[in-house]
Amino acid sequence: MDTLSTSFAPAGATSRLTARVASLPSADKALLALLFGAALLALVLGLVGGAVTALARAGALTFLPDDAYRILTLHGVSVFFYWLYLIQAALLLVLAAAENGRGLALRPLAWTGAALMLAGFGVSEWISATGTPLLYDGSPELAADDPRSVGVFALGYLLLSAGLVASAVCGIATVLQPRLRGEAGEFTSIGFALFAWAGFLVVSAIAATNAFLPGLLWALGAGPFPADHGTEWHILFHNLHYLPLMAAVLVWYVLSEHLTGVTSIHGPRLSKIVFAAYLVFVPPTSLYHMFLEPNLSESVRVVGSLLSLFVSVPTLAAFAIIVSSLEASARARGATGFFGWMQGLPWRNPAMANMGWAAVNMMIGITFAFVLIQEKLAPMLSDTFFVPGYFHFFAVGVLTQTFLAALMVILPALGGGSLWRPDLLRRMPAVVTIGLLIFGAAGITAGFMGVPRRVFDVGYGGMAPAAWPLLMALVGVGATIFAIAISVTVYGVVRTLLSLRPSGGQAPVVDWRTGSRGVCAVPAWTGPLSVAALIAAMYVFTIVAFQLIQSLPIIAIGGGHGH
Amino acid sequence: MRMNEELWLVVAIAAVWAALAAVYALVPGLGMPGYVRVWGGGAVLFLGLAGVLVAVSRKAPRG
Repeated sequence: MDTLSTSFAPAGATSRLTARVASLPSADKALLALLFGAALLALVLGLVGGAVTALARAGALTFLPDDAYRILTLHGVSVFFYWLYLIQAALLLVLAAAENGRGLALRPLAWTGAALMLAGFGVSEWISATGTPLLYDGSPELAADDPRSVGVFALGYLLLSAGLVASAVCGIATVLQPRLRGEAGEFTSIGFALFAWAGFLVVSAIAATNAFLPGLLWALGAGPFPADHGTEWHILFHNLHYLPLMAAVLVWYVLSEHLTGVTSIHGPRLSKIVFAAYLVFVPPTSLYHMFLEPNLSESVRVVGSLLSLFVSVPTLAAFAIIVSSLEASARARGATGFFGWMQGLPWRNPAMANMGWAAVNMMIGITFAFVLIQEKLAPMLSDTFFVPGYFHFFAVGVLTQTFLAALMVILPALGGGSLWRPDLLRRMPAVVTIGLLIFGAAGITAGFMGVPRRVFDVGYGGMAPAAWPLLMALVGVGATIFAIAISVTVYGVVRTLLSLRPSGGQAPVVDWRTGSRGVCAVPAWTGPLSVAALIAAMYVFTIVAFQLIQSLPIIAIGGGHGH
Repeated sequence: MRMNEELWLVVAIAAVWAALAAVYALVPGLGMPGYVRVWGGGAVLFLGLAGVLVAVSRKAPRG
C-alpha cells in the first residue's frame, strides 16, 4: 500500500487562522457569533422548507397551491439569499479580521450592516410566510394586484443588499490595515481575494437594487410597474452564480492551509490572477442567461455560447492550483501512487471530509451546468426539473458543505469550545453526496423527460408518463437523505457555536509544509487530469442530452423564465 | 509611480466591466439598460478600489 509519512499536529496546536480568530476582540466575536447564528437559522428554515417541498413533489405530502408555493418561496429565500449571504458576510468579516490580526476596522459599520441584514431577514421571512408567494425571484407579475407583497418583498432584499455593502466596506477597510500600518507592502493571496470578493459583494448589491428598487417604488406609488423585472433578475442571478462559488474557493484556500499547512506551490501571484479572473469573467459570460428570451438575435446567441465556455475557468483553475499544491507537497514528503497521496490528508477531520466531498459535488455540478447552458438545450431544459436536479449539487454539495466546513474550524476558535462529535460529523458529507446523487440522477432524468419545475401536481389528470411519479418519488428519497445528513451537521455546528466546554483538542490536521525539502520533481497530475475528466464528462452528457431529447415525441420550447 | 500587480488586476477588472457596459449602452439591439447600470456601476466601483490601493500605498509608512 502506498503510504505517506504525516506528522499530525499535537492536540491543542493552533493554526495561524484559529489563533488569530481566538484572539479577536470580544465585540468582534459577539458580532460574528450573531451573524453565524443568523446564517444557521436561515439554513435551518431553508432545510425544512426544502424537505417539505421535495416530499410534496414526491407526492408524499399534499398542499393547497398557495401553501405549496409559500413553502417553496420560504425555501428559496431562506437558503439562496439569507443562508448564502449571511454566511458570506460573516466569513468575509472573520477572515478579514484574521488577516488583519487585530480585529475589525470600522466596527460600528459592521454592526450596522449586521442590523440591516437581520432586518431584511425578518422582513423577507415574514412577507414570504404571509403575503402572496412570489418565489425567491420576487416576480411582481405574480402579484400585480398585490403591491404590498411586492413592495415588502423587495424591501427585504434591499435591506440585505445595504447590509452587504456595509459589511463589504468594513471587510475592505479591515484587510487594508496591515498595509496602512506599514507591515505589508502588498496583500497575501487571501487578502487580495477578500478585497476582490468584497468588491463583488458590493456589485451584487448594486444588481439587487437594480432588480428590486423598481418593485418597491411601484408599491409606494412612486414608479411604474416593473415590467422588466425578469431581465433585471437575470443580471443579479448571474452575479449570484459566481459570488458564492468564489467564496467557496477562497474558503478551500484557507482550509487547505489550516488542515495541511500547504499554500499554493505556484505562488501568490497566480492565485491573485485566478481570483481576479472571477471578476473579469463575470460580465462577458452573462449572456447565456438570455438564451430563454425568444427575441434574442442569433448573433448574440452565438457570442453568448462562446463566452459561456469561460464560466467555470476560474473555479477549475483554483481547484487545479489547490490539488496540485497538495499533491506536490505530499509527494515531497514521500507519498506515492496515483491517488495514494490523498490517503495522507486528514480525512478524520470533518472539515476535510466536507471539503473533499464538496470538490466531488463540484465536478458533478459543473458537468451538468455545461449541459444546461448550451444554446440549443437551455430553452428545452430551463423550465424543467433538470435545473433543481443539478443546482443542488452546487447549493448543497459544494457551497453549504464548504461553508459548514469553515464553521467547523472557526467556531471552536471563536467560542473556545470544541467541535461536537467530529467522528459523526466526518461521515455526513458522504451521506449528503449519496442523497444528492439520488436526487440529482432522478431530477435530471425527469428534466430530460419534461417534468416541469415549480409545478407540484405533475399528474396532469393521469396523462403524464408513467415514469414521472417514480422519478419524483426518488427525488423525495434523495432529498430526505441529504436533508437529514445536513441537519446532523448543522446540529453539530450549532452545538459547537453554543458550546462552553473548553476545547479538548482540535480535530486532526497534518503538516505537509515542504520547508527546506522544496517541492520534488515528481509531477502532480491529479488536478489537471480531474479537469480533463470533467471536460470529457461534459461532452458525454451533452451527447446523451441531445440523444434523449431528440428521442422524445414532443419538443418543448421555454419562454423567458426567471430561473 | 510603478503599478504593482494587484493594482493592474483591479484596473483590468474595471476596464472589462466598463467595456461591457459600453457595449450594452452603445449597441441598440441589445436593449438591456440594466446591464449598463450594473456593469457600469461595477466599473466605477473597481476603479474606486484601484484608487484606494494607490492611496493606501502612498499613505503607508515606509521602511
